[in-house]
Amino acid sequence: MITSIAHATIYVLNQDEALDFYKNKLGFEIGDDMKVEGGFRWLTVYPKSNSQLQLVLAEPKEGPMFNKEAAEKIRSLIAEGAFGAGVFETENCQQTYEELVAKGVEFIQPPTEQLYGVEAMGLDNSGNWFSLVQR
Amino acid sequence: MATNYKFKKVKAGRDHIADNFHNALSLSDMAQHAHISPYHFLRVFKDTYGETPNEFLIRLRVAHAKKLLITENHSVSEICEHVGYSSLGSFSSLFLKQTGMAPTLYRRKLWALSAEPFCFPAQAIPACYARHFLGK
Repeated sequence: MITSIAHATIYVLNQDEALDFYKNKLGFEIGDDMKVEGGFRWLTVYPKSNSQLQLVLAEPKEGPMFNKEAAEKIRSLIAEGAFGAGVFETENCQQTYEELVAKGVEFIQPPTEQLYGVEAMGLDNSGNWFSLVQR
Repeated sequence: MATNYKFKKVKAGRDHIADNFHNALSLSDMAQHAHISPYHFLRVFKDTYGETPNEFLIRLRVAHAKKLLITENHSVSEICEHVGYSSLGSFSSLFLKQTGMAPTLYRRKLWALSAEPFCFPAQAIPACYARHFLGK
């Protein structure tokens, strides 16, 4: 039986810039920020109150998994907004939305009533969308 | 699952644990931050998160200790203190129980795997990621 999700990956264009966004704009905490042999940087973040699921901020680079062309293709798809970081829960969508807008976070949809709650949709500084949901 | 109101309270207690796991924490400290009685806090916490407050605390402490053992050159007793235990004996046996290895053995094994000192060995991150990004 699978009991929980520990890590999910979001591809970003630049790990330093992504860390700045997730930490200083969204208020996430750093889980791990480690140099791994082979030059890979293992970087994870999580929302302050729940470290159980951590987001791995990874850069698509030429390596064992991607050739140069594939890595470049993924980078351009990220910038186009093809990928999403998923749904982030909040206690108050409107309030969180306003706080984030004040910090300069770009939104493509303001808080809107949905069947499952109130949802706003924003973009991280790589171009990945994320959803802010109040249930 | 607790109601929203209850959830906010128990979450405040959980936040307190996450922020202060490196200090001595008793169940009544935790419950006080949630403004509920210790027994009730324990029960609602377990219902909500699937683990007791103490299990959560141990999980955070062991995870942090593992990281420090690999990337820092502190002694095991310094690390024990750093993650909130006053007794080296209870820290060591707890660590052994959780990871199947004593802290010194864990460090020795992981350091042996890394090419550079105090560098995270690829084996210390989930293998799927190491395989994906490093081809290991």
